[in-house]
Amino acid sequence: MNVKDIATAIIKSINDGDTLTTVRIGADSFHSDTVKIASVLLSKKLGGIYITTSRPSSHIVDELEETKVDLSDLYFIDLVSMTVGGKTDDPRTLYVESPTMLESILLNISLLEMRLKAKKRFVLFDSVNGLSIYSEARVLKEFINVLGNSMRIKEIYSMLMTVKEQTGEELASALQLLSDKVIGE
Amino acid sequence: MAKKEVTKPITLDPRGGRPRDKCVTYIEGIDRILNGGIPIGNITLLAGTVGSGKTTLAMEFLINGAKAGETCCYISVTEPSSKMLSNLQTYGFFDDALVKEGKLNIFDLTVINDRLGVERLDGTYTAKDMEALLGAFEDIVDELGVTRLVIDSITAVCYQLPDKGSIRNFIFRLSQFLSTFGCTTMLISETVVDSNVQTYSIFGVEEAVADGVVLMGNIIRQGDLLRSLQVVKMRGTKHSRARHLIELTPIGLAVVPLLKWGQDGGQAFT
Repeated sequence: MNVKDIATAIIKSINDGDTLTTVRIGADSFHSDTVKIASVLLSKKLGGIYITTSRPSSHIVDELEETKVDLSDLYFIDLVSMTVGGKTDDPRTLYVESPTMLESILLNISLLEMRLKAKKRFVLFDSVNGLSIYSEARVLKEFINVLGNSMRIKEIYSMLMTVKEQTGEELASALQLLSDKVIGE
Repeated sequence: MAKKEVTKPITLDPRGGRPRDKCVTYIEGIDRILNGGIPIGNITLLAGTVGSGKTTLAMEFLINGAKAGETCCYISVTEPSSKMLSNLQTYGFFDDALVKEGKLNIFDLTVINDRLGVERLDGTYTAKDMEALLGAFEDIVDELGVTRLVIDSITAVCYQLPDKGSIRNFIFRLSQFLSTFGCTTMLISETVVDSNVQTYSIFGVEEAVADGVVLMGNIIRQGDLLRSLQVVKMRGTKHSRARHLIELTPIGLAVVPLLKWGQDGGQAFT
């Protein structure tokens, strides 16, 4: 599935009333495709929260700016910049001190959710695999379960981005069980 | 036309009965844990280790109350009130006007002691001193119409009482008149962790007299320190007993449930 088809499937999933989707993308185009998906959703006037666990948010902002899409209703939760000593002064970003502080993600979503202007909202979690570097599988599975269910309650369309080649069977089946759809298989 | 029969919903609260009026903390997550807030007039022991966020939580409890129009009072035992006031400026949720309008009152126990003439060189209160101090607290609450009070810390006060019996008596008497005035109180208790076990208080008496015990501590996860909060007891309300993560955000403290598998160096409590 190419990125255009994935984006179309995501839009259809939103229109179908889904709330939680796992999106599987190959490692070779993972970063660029994820940014393109965010750009497509923003161009459709959705507001969103971009959670980054694998790259500093400043890089993602740079890439999104190149797509000329309106970023005024996009906020970030960045689990990378504070750990690596990157820029931590972007007003649209909440920085989490350490990627082990998983509960902070839930807390920061609640804070940013209040700032979103659009009626249709999304959370893009880039990526589940990024977190697996720092957390044990059982912690990660528990977190995904809590995150997924709290997004269902909040009725925010959420995408759990996963790198196809790096997602083991156990994690993949946990994601499948939790999600309304798995896109990109 | 026949009246439509309405099925009465079954209440799931095993306590039944009528709930007590609550003092809403307005702290994100805490009122949910406490099923609407702290029952009015309760004395709550806010126990925790150094750096666990006790003073911040207590201060936000007072500031939120003051913003809602209540008269609130903070009695500083361990540091000068001027230092406390300058620390307050660093909180985004603090507003200077609350102090100027008399909604948030900050007192220094050493100043109260000086005025009462109860400061002893050996640092121990006599029975007469204890009476004088209780009288001073009562006057402050009564004359200002205080509905939220924080004593930071009760541990420092207890160190000046001669024995456990006096501590029990002091807190019991304090809770009696505060409850009569409908003043919801937080007593800050400094605790230590010994062999991975955290107690509720240094003297082991305070928790038995208090209406509520809220425990704050640190949890180690992959070497990182996370602040935790757990309501151990709260008379007069159904409440969560799960451990939660507490974090200082730009809009104040916020609480979320802690991941069950996410603690590898948590403290045990007695």
